[in-house]
Amino acid sequence: MSLLSNILIDGVVYGMVLFIISVGLSVTMGLMRFINLSHGAFAMAGGYVAALLIREQGFGFGAGVALALMFTMALAVVLETFVFRHLYKKSELQQVLFTIGFTFACIATANLFAGAYIQTLPLPEWMQGSVALGARTLPKQRVVVVATGGFVVLLLWLLVARTRFGIWLRASVDNAGMSSSLGINIRLVQCATFATGAGLAALGGVLGAELMPLEPFYPLKYLVLMLVVVAVGGLGSISGTLCAALLLGIIDTASRYVASGFGNLFFYAAMVLLLSVRPHGILRR
Amino acid sequence: MQAISVLPRMTSAPERFPWHVYVIGLGLIFGLYWLFPGNMLIMTRIAIMAILVMSLDLLTGYAGLATLGHAALYGVGAYAAALCAKFLTGDPLVGLVVAAGVGALLALISGAFLVRYQGLTFLMLTIAVVEIMHNLANKMQHITGGDDGLSGFTIDPLFGTFEFDIFGVTAYWYSAIALFLCYMVLRRIMNSPFGLCCEGIRENRDRMNANGTRIYPQLLKLYVLSGAFAGIAGGLSAQITQVVGLDSMGFTLSAEALVMLVLGGTGNLIGAILGTALFTGIHHFAATTNPFHWLFVIGGLLMLVVFLPQGFVQKAVNRLGRRVVTSTAGVAA
Amino acid sequence: MKVLQVGAAALMAAFLSGQALADTVKVGIIAPFSGPFAHYGKLFKDSAEAYLKQQQGKFAGHDIQIIYRDSGGPSPGVVRNAAQELIVNDKVDYLGGFVFTPNAMAVAPLIQQSKTPAVIFNAGTSIITTKSDYFVRTSYTQAQVTVPLANWAHEKGLKKVVTAVMDYAPGVDGEKTFDAEFTKLGGEIVDRIRMPMSTNDFSPFVQRIKASGAQAAYVFLPGGPPNLGFVNAYNQNGLRDAGIEFLGTAETDEFDLQKFGDAALGLMTSFHYSAAHDSDVNREFAKAMKEQAADALFNYASVGAYDGMRVIHKMVEATDGKKDGDKAMKAIRGFEWESPRGPVKIDPETRHITQNVYLRKVERGADGKLQNTEIENFGPQVDHGLE
Repeated sequence: MSLLSNILIDGVVYGMVLFIISVGLSVTMGLMRFINLSHGAFAMAGGYVAALLIREQGFGFGAGVALALMFTMALAVVLETFVFRHLYKKSELQQVLFTIGFTFACIATANLFAGAYIQTLPLPEWMQGSVALGARTLPKQRVVVVATGGFVVLLLWLLVARTRFGIWLRASVDNAGMSSSLGINIRLVQCATFATGAGLAALGGVLGAELMPLEPFYPLKYLVLMLVVVAVGGLGSISGTLCAALLLGIIDTASRYVASGFGNLFFYAAMVLLLSVRPHGILRR
Repeated sequence: MQAISVLPRMTSAPERFPWHVYVIGLGLIFGLYWLFPGNMLIMTRIAIMAILVMSLDLLTGYAGLATLGHAALYGVGAYAAALCAKFLTGDPLVGLVVAAGVGALLALISGAFLVRYQGLTFLMLTIAVVEIMHNLANKMQHITGGDDGLSGFTIDPLFGTFEFDIFGVTAYWYSAIALFLCYMVLRRIMNSPFGLCCEGIRENRDRMNANGTRIYPQLLKLYVLSGAFAGIAGGLSAQITQVVGLDSMGFTLSAEALVMLVLGGTGNLIGAILGTALFTGIHHFAATTNPFHWLFVIGGLLMLVVFLPQGFVQKAVNRLGRRVVTSTAGVAA
Repeated sequence: MKVLQVGAAALMAAFLSGQALADTVKVGIIAPFSGPFAHYGKLFKDSAEAYLKQQQGKFAGHDIQIIYRDSGGPSPGVVRNAAQELIVNDKVDYLGGFVFTPNAMAVAPLIQQSKTPAVIFNAGTSIITTKSDYFVRTSYTQAQVTVPLANWAHEKGLKKVVTAVMDYAPGVDGEKTFDAEFTKLGGEIVDRIRMPMSTNDFSPFVQRIKASGAQAAYVFLPGGPPNLGFVNAYNQNGLRDAGIEFLGTAETDEFDLQKFGDAALGLMTSFHYSAAHDSDVNREFAKAMKEQAADALFNYASVGAYDGMRVIHKMVEATDGKKDGDKAMKAIRGFEWESPRGPVKIDPETRHITQNVYLRKVERGADGKLQNTEIENFGPQVDHGLE
């Protein structure tokens, strides 16, 4: 049935973008118990830097994106070491307050330097145009997004399940105090995780620029979306975030195809249902 | 969730009926009226928002349930008061009662489901509630006016004599006295065993459970109380501005209220009022001087407040309050 | 008690008004200067100041002082407060601005009571002008630009059209207007798609358009990111290749037009102002705007503000700088002039602007930049929403 295939294709694509943007937030919140509401700001930063490098400075797409990722990760390391670290001990409300203030400052900065306009990201030749999938066409850019999403999942799985760093990460999430006393460098783990999360956010910002255009209010506009994916998926759970993102993406897309008059009712109803049945995350007990 | 700060517990008479606080409050209301006649409109706005933020404080400060969905209760109260004025009666006090009732009703319905959860889950569910309500208000255009807003209703003069006119004098007194009364009532309620029970739930839920407290009914009662006062704030807003827009039911309003609360300090109602005054005042001034860059100012302020000593705003007020108390106690003794 | 109230208020008003220069005419402009819609405020400010500069800072010999107030987004409470402050504290003679309908509706009782003429620079819902006798509009209404589009679609031989609008009041208005007009002429609306405000991914809707079997799609989008998202989805999902015509109104406005790139080429819209309008008045307007701010982009919002100031100029002239709302409104009823958009007139009955509506197509201009080239002139249109 073509409607079903449409829903699945578009839903998976949308879900993948949500996953890439939100996974960093989930891991950070799970590991450091740090409510980072400025996560969207890193996505925006990555997108803006990539857009400026590619459009204004004439870098190639691959080079521009890579540089943007590195810049964002470096920025995240600096911020984490000097600023955010002091917030881990503070209460949740204070973390919310600070990160929202930081987000405001980022929005104002973006507006100051680049104006209120939408930042367009020129796509390279191989990402333009569409591929034919039977009766319908799918933009090549979306295919790249899905492929990248799959690649990110694989990479993260390798990182977490097969490397020493992954062991440190899992141990720290389970019990930071114990891990520290066993000799794991908690500070390093926290900093590296934060940077990775920010890097993934930047990647999500770049890839999602078609769906979620880059403009100064980007971090606040999509904040709720990220929080929903993270909450439903469960803090700190990568597979949970993937599951949640895909599920919510498909449900949202389905509602747009079938019953768009109800707005985002189905999205939030789905979220309420999932959270009430599984408050700690979709794949947790 | 840790408490930000709580005013020191005094066991003497002033705790029961802190007349010094009330005198200061009344004095402020009169003083501001005579000193800043040109700013009555903004002070009216502060008064209305302060009631909303106080009601939020009940949930977030006293019971430790951070919520981003409070605007739903405010919005539904606003629409109720507007519809009451349009179809039932233009009497402002009746409208307020209707608004409080509707706010409490929505709080009962949503709270029955919501207060089973805690922490991040609770927060996200409240976001869902406000977004769904916002969506509903947008769709039910024939009742709420949708995007165009609900207007075309007039409010009868208060007590039959004080008209709500263009100068805003009646509006100022109406909202300021309403704020004063709401503060009195809420303070009395939250300093009673009911309020202490809520604080206990915030501090240690399992312990309270072990004590024999039934958490769920307790929190539900608190939620309904909070909803009633949020509805009052919404009703006041609808009556004074005589138009209700979709923004009264928006997520942004909830977020702003939470920011105002945390800015001023949670856990005692004064913090709500202070935070509202501070945030609104700064927004007003920064917006008139340089609108697009006011975000820098607010962002900077929020970040700064977090790094100031715990409950900075509160401590300053504490010290002032203590000095007044000891001096008056010395006089009385 | 009431006498005391009024007396106190009058005393206060007298005390406050002492500051104003007797000869200065004050204009209060309420627009978004912060938040996601802040570009409107900048557009209004640039145009108003450009007009003022062209008149050397004086209207009919009187100094003009413009006071700006931020409205945020659609927040009727905030705007009502701002208007109240402007009227009571700052004692403005005229109000201007208003991007969103609820904001304009909120000030209706205020301007009626204080007899302050208010010029609507942007808000496009027909009923606003009926809410007070002191409203005059220099922007447009959705009905005004949609009805001629429906007519043109019918004349071109299109029989099946699908409507896809953003699900909020202006979008629904647009859909209803197009629907009514097109079906009246014998056409068929095959599907009415409502797109939720929070939509990021437009592919589902574009696919639905494709599946509906329509020959054209009447689209209404609010401006900003959704426009870009939709146009991209429209191209990437092969709608253009399938020959489904895009029929819009404000979607290709100059503020974001360049961002669309080649994706926008060939989009047809029916609207009242294009920056590429070929007239001397428009060229002078462009020059004035460039002098005001080198990076100034001007679109329908700019021209709404520019013409709004023209109307205020006329009102100041007619009342000789004094505050007389009734005299001012009487003077501008039937007022005609040549605007950068073409010849315009303020309708004496509805106080809405009667103006030419054009059919435009997006093309690359001589300077290589994208522009809305006017390919047909539908002639002067009144506010069809009030019929």
